[in-house]
Amino acid sequence: MNRSKRGGEHSRLTLRLWDFTGTAMLNLFMFLFLVAYLSPLPFMVIASLTPRNQFLDGNAPILPSERVKFNYEGKDLIVYEVPTEHGIKHWALYKPSRKSSQFIDPNNPQAGPILWQGAWRTLKAVYEFKPTLDNFKAFLSVARMSLYFKNTIIVAIISEIGVLFSSIAVAYGFSRFRIPGIKYIFFLLIATIMIPSNITLVPTYYLYSGHMLNWIGTWLPLIVPHFFGSAVLIFLLRQNFKSIPRDLDEAAMLDGASPLRILISVILPQSIPVVTTVALLHFFYIWNETRLSSLYLGIAPHLQLVSFAVQRNQTYFFTPEALMVGALMVMVIPVIVLFLSQRFFMQDMIVTQIEK
Amino acid sequence: MDVANQSGLLLKTRPAKLTRRQHETWIGLLFLSPWLIGFVFLKALPILAALIFSLTDFQMLTPESTKFIGLENYVRFFSDIEAGASLLGSLRYFLLTVPLEMIVALVLAAIFTSERLKNKRLSQTLIFMTSIIPSTSIFFIFLGSLAYANRLIFTPLNLPSIEGNGLLLPFMALWSIGPGFLILYSAMKSVPNEMYEAARVDGAGPFARFIYITLPMISPAIFFTLVINLTGAFGGAVLLDRGYILNFSLSPMESYINHTMFLEADLGYASALAWMTFGVMMTLTIFLFWSAKRWVYFPEEHEDEQI
Repeated sequence: MNRSKRGGEHSRLTLRLWDFTGTAMLNLFMFLFLVAYLSPLPFMVIASLTPRNQFLDGNAPILPSERVKFNYEGKDLIVYEVPTEHGIKHWALYKPSRKSSQFIDPNNPQAGPILWQGAWRTLKAVYEFKPTLDNFKAFLSVARMSLYFKNTIIVAIISEIGVLFSSIAVAYGFSRFRIPGIKYIFFLLIATIMIPSNITLVPTYYLYSGHMLNWIGTWLPLIVPHFFGSAVLIFLLRQNFKSIPRDLDEAAMLDGASPLRILISVILPQSIPVVTTVALLHFFYIWNETRLSSLYLGIAPHLQLVSFAVQRNQTYFFTPEALMVGALMVMVIPVIVLFLSQRFFMQDMIVTQIEK
Repeated sequence: MDVANQSGLLLKTRPAKLTRRQHETWIGLLFLSPWLIGFVFLKALPILAALIFSLTDFQMLTPESTKFIGLENYVRFFSDIEAGASLLGSLRYFLLTVPLEMIVALVLAAIFTSERLKNKRLSQTLIFMTSIIPSTSIFFIFLGSLAYANRLIFTPLNLPSIEGNGLLLPFMALWSIGPGFLILYSAMKSVPNEMYEAARVDGAGPFARFIYITLPMISPAIFFTLVINLTGAFGGAVLLDRGYILNFSLSPMESYINHTMFLEADLGYASALAWMTFGVMMTLTIFLFWSAKRWVYFPEEHEDEQI
C-alpha cells in the first residue's frame, strides 16, 4: 500500500516534469520558427532608415550610415581610408584627379594639402552609424497620408458591415436549407470565384461609367458590390456553418424559433472565430486593394486610398528605401487591427442555449 | 374592376397553404437573395460581355473596327505555345507552393491550439504580418536580405553564396501563409471541446486526437483553402491582394492574360485566354469537389445536397 502511494507520487512528478519539458519545447520551437521566419524583416527596417545613396556604394556598411565629412575652407570634403607608408589614414579628399590626388588630414588641417599617388576611386569612404528619418519625411511630404488613412478606414468599415451581413445570410442560406437545384446555384458561386477578375474589368468599368451607373470618381464601385456578399467569403462561411452539427438548431426549431433567430442565437455564437477571420480578411483585402481604386478613383485625388497612393509613390522613387518606407506605412494599421482582434480568437467556444 | 380582377388572380395563383418543404425553399431563397440579386445586376452582364468579347477581335485601341470572328481566338489558343507554357507554369506554381504553404499552416495552427503556448497574440500577429507586405516591396526584401546573408554569413565563412532563383517561390509561399493559417486555426477553434475530452477519456494521445478528430473536423476548411489557392495560382480570386506592378503577377497565366490585355490591348484574345483558363480551373475544381465526397466531413448530410 505504502509502495503504491510512493509510486503514485513518483509518476505525478514525472508527469509534471514531462509537462514542463513539453511546454518548454513547444515555446522554444515557436520562438526559433519565428526568428527564422522573420529573419528578412530587419532588412526592411534597416533599409527604411538608410540615407539615400548608401545602397549605391557597394562598400558601404550594412547598418544605416552616413559618409564622414570634414569641413575645410567652407567646403564639405568626403573622408576616405587612404593607405600610406604609415598605415591607413582617414583623410579628406581635397582635389581629386585620376593618377594622384590632394588630401587634407582632418587632425592637422593647417599642414595643408598632402599629395597622394594612386587612383582615389579605388578608395573606401569612411562611414559612421547614423540612422535617418528623411525617407519617411520625404514620403509624407509627397503623399497626404492622413487623408488616405481616413478614406481607407471609412471605405473599409462601410463595406465591412455590408459584406458581413450579406455573406453570413447567404452562407446560412447555402448551408441549412433544402432548395431544389441549390447545388447548381452553389457551383455558379464557385464559378464567379474562378473567372479571372481582369477579364471583366472592361465591361464592369462600362457598367459603372457614365453610360450606365455613373459611379466613376466615387467610392460606390468599391463599396456597393460588397453589400451583395463576397463569393469567396460566402464559400468560407458556408464550409464552417455546414460543419456545425444540426442538433441544436433542430431543437430550437421545435421550440418555434424562426430561421433568423436560429442564425443569430445558435449558428453565430458557434462561429465567432470564422466570422472574425472573415472580417479580418475583408479588411485586409480592402486595405491592400490597388486595382479597383486606381481604376475608379484616379480622377478623384481627394478620395484615394492608402495602398494605391503608396504604390504610386513607390513607383515615383523606385529605390529600396522608398519601397520599404511605403511597405511599413501600409502595414501599420493592419498590424494594429490584427493584434487587437486576437481577443476573439482567444475565447473558447460558447455554446448558448436558446431562450424560450 | 381591374383591381378586383388582379387581386382575384393573385388569390388564385397563391397556393392555399405552402408545404413545409416549399416554405423552407422560400426562406432559403430569401437568405440567398443578396448574392443572387448582386449576381444578376452587377456580375452577370460583365461576364456575358467577356464571353462575347472572346468571339470578336476586340482591340482596345481601335474598338470601332471590332468584328465577330467566331471561335478563331480559341483556335489561336491551341497553337499558342506561350499560353500552354503559362498554363503549365501555373500548375507548377500551384504544386510547388500550395503543399508547403498548407502543411506549415496546418502545423502552426495545431501548435496554436495548445494551451501551453505563450504569447499567442504576438506570435499570431507576427506570422500574419508578412502576408500584407505589398508585392513591390517583397522582392526587395527577399533580394536585400539574401545579399545581407551572403555578406555577413556565407562570404566570411568561405561558403558559396546563395542564389535567389530557386528560393523565391518557397519564400513567397511561406510569407503568404497568413490567410490559410487564420482559416485553419479558426476552424480548429470551432471544434467542440467535448469531442477532445471524450477521446482523451478513451485514451487517445495528442497525435491520435489530431488525426482522428481535428483533421476530419476541419476538412471543410482545408478543402476551402485548396480551392482558393488553386484559383489564385491561375489568376482567379485571391484572399489577399498584395497589389502588383504593371502586368506582373506571381501566377504565370495571370501575367500572360494581363500582358495580352494591357500591353497588346488585345481584349478579344485575352478574353478567350481567360475562358480557357476558367475551363481548366473549373475542371480541376470539379475534380476536387468529386474527391471531397471521400475526405471532407460534414455532420448529418441530406442525401440530396452533398459536398
